[in-house]
Amino acid sequence: MSNALAARGLGKGALAALIAGVVGAFCLLFEGLWPWLSSYPNDWVLPTSDAVGGAVKGGLDYLKPAARVFSTLMAYPMTAANTVLAVLPWPLLIAATVALGWRLGGVKMAAMAAIGLGLVLASGYWQQGMNTLALVAVSVPLALLAGAMIGIFANEFPRFRAPVQALLDVMQTVPTFAYLTPLLVLFGFGPVVGLIASAIYAAPPMARNVLLGLQRVEPEVKEAAVMSGGTRMQQLFQVEIPAAKVQIMVGVNQCLMAALSMVIIAAVIGGFNDIGWEVLLTMRKAQFGPAMLAGSVIVIFAILIDRMSATLAQERRRLWDGRISLAILLLGLVVSLVFWRSLGHPDSYRLLDPLANGLDSWLTDFTRANAELLTNFKNGVMFYVLLPLRIGLDQAILPFTWGFQWTSGMSLGFYAVAAVVALGLALRGQPTLGLVVLIAAGILETGVSQLPWPFVLIGVGALSWVAGGYRLALLSVVLLSTILVSGLWDRALLSLYLSGAAVFACAVLGGGIGVLCAVSPMVWRLVRPICDMLQTIPLFVFLIPVLMVFQIGEFSAFLAIIAYAIVPMIRYTRQGLIATPDEMIEAATASGATRWQMMRDVRAPYAAPTILLGLNQTILYAFAMLVIAALIGTTGLGQSIYLALGQADVGLGISAGAAMAILALIADRIVQGFAEERKKALGL
Amino acid sequence: MTGSETPAISCRNLWQVFGDNADSALKQALSQHKSADAVSQALRAKGLVPAVQDANFDVKEGELFVIMGLSGSGKSTLIRCISQLLPASGGEIRIEGEDIVSASKARLIALRRKTLGMVFQHFGLFPHMTVADNVAYPLRVQGIKRKARRAKAQEVIELVGLAGREDRYPRELSGGQRQRVGIARSLVTDCSVWFLDEPFSALDPLIRRQLQDEFLDIQAKLKTTIVFITHDINEALKLADRIAIMRDGKIVQIGTPADIVLNPVDDYVREFSKDVAKGRHANVASVMQSPEGNSYGVDDPGLRRDMTLDAALARCMDLYDPVPVRDSDGTLVGVINPADLAAALQVETDHV
Repeated sequence: MSNALAARGLGKGALAALIAGVVGAFCLLFEGLWPWLSSYPNDWVLPTSDAVGGAVKGGLDYLKPAARVFSTLMAYPMTAANTVLAVLPWPLLIAATVALGWRLGGVKMAAMAAIGLGLVLASGYWQQGMNTLALVAVSVPLALLAGAMIGIFANEFPRFRAPVQALLDVMQTVPTFAYLTPLLVLFGFGPVVGLIASAIYAAPPMARNVLLGLQRVEPEVKEAAVMSGGTRMQQLFQVEIPAAKVQIMVGVNQCLMAALSMVIIAAVIGGFNDIGWEVLLTMRKAQFGPAMLAGSVIVIFAILIDRMSATLAQERRRLWDGRISLAILLLGLVVSLVFWRSLGHPDSYRLLDPLANGLDSWLTDFTRANAELLTNFKNGVMFYVLLPLRIGLDQAILPFTWGFQWTSGMSLGFYAVAAVVALGLALRGQPTLGLVVLIAAGILETGVSQLPWPFVLIGVGALSWVAGGYRLALLSVVLLSTILVSGLWDRALLSLYLSGAAVFACAVLGGGIGVLCAVSPMVWRLVRPICDMLQTIPLFVFLIPVLMVFQIGEFSAFLAIIAYAIVPMIRYTRQGLIATPDEMIEAATASGATRWQMMRDVRAPYAAPTILLGLNQTILYAFAMLVIAALIGTTGLGQSIYLALGQADVGLGISAGAAMAILALIADRIVQGFAEERKKALGL
Repeated sequence: MTGSETPAISCRNLWQVFGDNADSALKQALSQHKSADAVSQALRAKGLVPAVQDANFDVKEGELFVIMGLSGSGKSTLIRCISQLLPASGGEIRIEGEDIVSASKARLIALRRKTLGMVFQHFGLFPHMTVADNVAYPLRVQGIKRKARRAKAQEVIELVGLAGREDRYPRELSGGQRQRVGIARSLVTDCSVWFLDEPFSALDPLIRRQLQDEFLDIQAKLKTTIVFITHDINEALKLADRIAIMRDGKIVQIGTPADIVLNPVDDYVREFSKDVAKGRHANVASVMQSPEGNSYGVDDPGLRRDMTLDAALARCMDLYDPVPVRDSDGTLVGVINPADLAAALQVETDHV
């Protein structure tokens, strides 16, 4: 029976690989004869992005008056929040935060708030920081309200659940920069765009968690509310929502973090003296010390907001003595009043400037002193890994980088070696793997960015078919074709190459670290806070350190993506590996398995679905970061989106954003498909 | 029994089918096929699940009606139909004479506030409310003021023996205590029809027996009509006035505990009662014959109609002639042959 299953599984995979391989070989053989096989001709491009731009612009013009009114209206709460945060003396604000920290998490949280805000004050970025917080303070209630309403709506009308889920998927996969452009056209230049963008970005996690929470309320609890004679409203607001509180609070936490992240990204629009803008400005001026300092302010905000709101989502949280909170608040008030005169402007406390300058000069010295080492590292990765992957061995191997010229003879030899390996694998009963080796050789020789488009379409289609059947295959091919005809194909391949390389690196590195963490609790104790930290930091901040050391360019982007996207891989790998049921471990031990055998034969197969989900998250993270990384020099779709923002080109922005979302969506569905299949095979 | 004419609950041709377009498929199948089995078969052929098939029964006012079956037999679905937690796919349900299948939403809410109460297997307690708030919730939805509902809740909390724990949260209680809260909550509105869905199944055996006894006390005090679901034959026999046995969505037998034990209609029912000590559950009335036309001997071992078979047999161990059965004031109500007593206890061995 298991044999029959294996034969059938192999059959499907092998068939898909065979089709892809044949199409690829065909394209390679005949590209000389028919050049349109390797590069999609410009004449065949439909002016979709212009059409989209025209249509959307028309629609936007129609909505503009209403949007502008909304924009004016939103200016009031924003100004209010801004004024409140600007006028209130800083001792009072710090005291209020510390008091809140005490109430939520006792001494530890209060100390964290005091130290954190103390650092913010000392950094001299108090004013900018408060401006950012004002934006968050206005956008979060909007996002919470919208998210909660969407979640409740989807819960009340099951018919709309699937479309709403799809909408939420789209809202979260469309890169953040992409919808800044239409918003810019709609709401006009100014901070309101950042506000709306962050509300749009932050609403989906809230909606998801509200829906999830409501659905997870025990059926009997819901039935008890019905049988108590509650009206639907009473059931919902008196029973179901309070019973789902923990999950909803998880949503609040995620909503806050997303809003903060997006407010900072939206700073690229400028026009608002906030902390994100400060980072961008200092980065552009290559003042890395101040950039680091401003970046730390963002990190401090992120950590404070995250840790404080996370306590709300604890199962059985306790509140600490409110009287002490009140005392702290009063102390803040008294200090503010007594020292009213002598309180300087908060920005005048630039205590950390020497540190920043010191860091700056140390960094300059460091990069200068280690210039050779750093350049070698960068060039090594670029020349020997990234470039061949991008343009293929045949073009990347040049005398001045590799020391020799790649000849067609070498190509032939390379293919011959691949063929021998493939044949060997096929003879040992692994034809699928053999075919995959052959295809990989072809891709390496050609380069991802120059793959013939029929091969990509068919190959992705075949992969989708294996992962999720005909429907997924059809979806993938149709969606990819829209990118093809819209003329964004080359850029999409570039994005695919960079994110693919980064995801691969994350999978290897993150998987390795995850295995280490699973084996040794010591390592996990070390890695865990780093993972927590990396997940709390808004995307934007990742750019600062890589930029400092490796300057603008693809390599920096590559590193930034890895730094951001590696975390889920580590977490899920570890989680999957340690979650093996005890009975299975005991059975393996009783059978006399060594530690390594246990890992290979028991833990790893059992963890496969979880690890695949981690890979899935890593892919989505990589795509999200790819767009942000366009700020420091990438060439793919991210760059198009960023350019569109600068030129207020709605069509290009939306098309490129959609292309990006399509790539993310297809990758997501394929990996999820494999994960589902593994889960089913394991009977989970 | 009060002898009232209208049954408290009455189900006629009740169907519950799960699957896509179940209601219309049921209608179609009902018009095409005569017997319930044929209808079920037709529905199953379409990939639908007929969870309750053609249920017909009445529950008299004040009666304790137990529905028993294995898991998956449709008993939980049936009670959810009667309580309208699930809209029935077809058929008629009347509660105190009122058709509730076609009742409006508002009417259903009113019914649940005044007439119906329900206890759940896993308690269904609101995790964010204290014991007192849980119990008082059915009053809260009616807009009753805090003080008044707290006072009423206190009464039932004392009735179920939870006094002193009013301000605890469900998570701080043991399983038995949680179900007491569930029972109190369902009683707080003085319902006249009480649904209990496997209320004691999640509890350990000792607590279960204790709660069963207390439940009988409460029932004796309140005299509500009760529909009680269980998968435990001993629980059913201990509590029931009448038992309905369900299998694969069908009610296969309805009868008194003695009927079920002594005259199982098929092997499925017999299998249930196999391990039951029959002499303890059947009484003399179920095997005696009418006094007219039946003579009896000179010995009178003092049999009463409500005596268990075990007790009766113990009194006529060495008697061979028929003996009289009398009620408490000595009137002759029946005649019984000691051999029949012994035979009744051996029904099963004849078949095995």
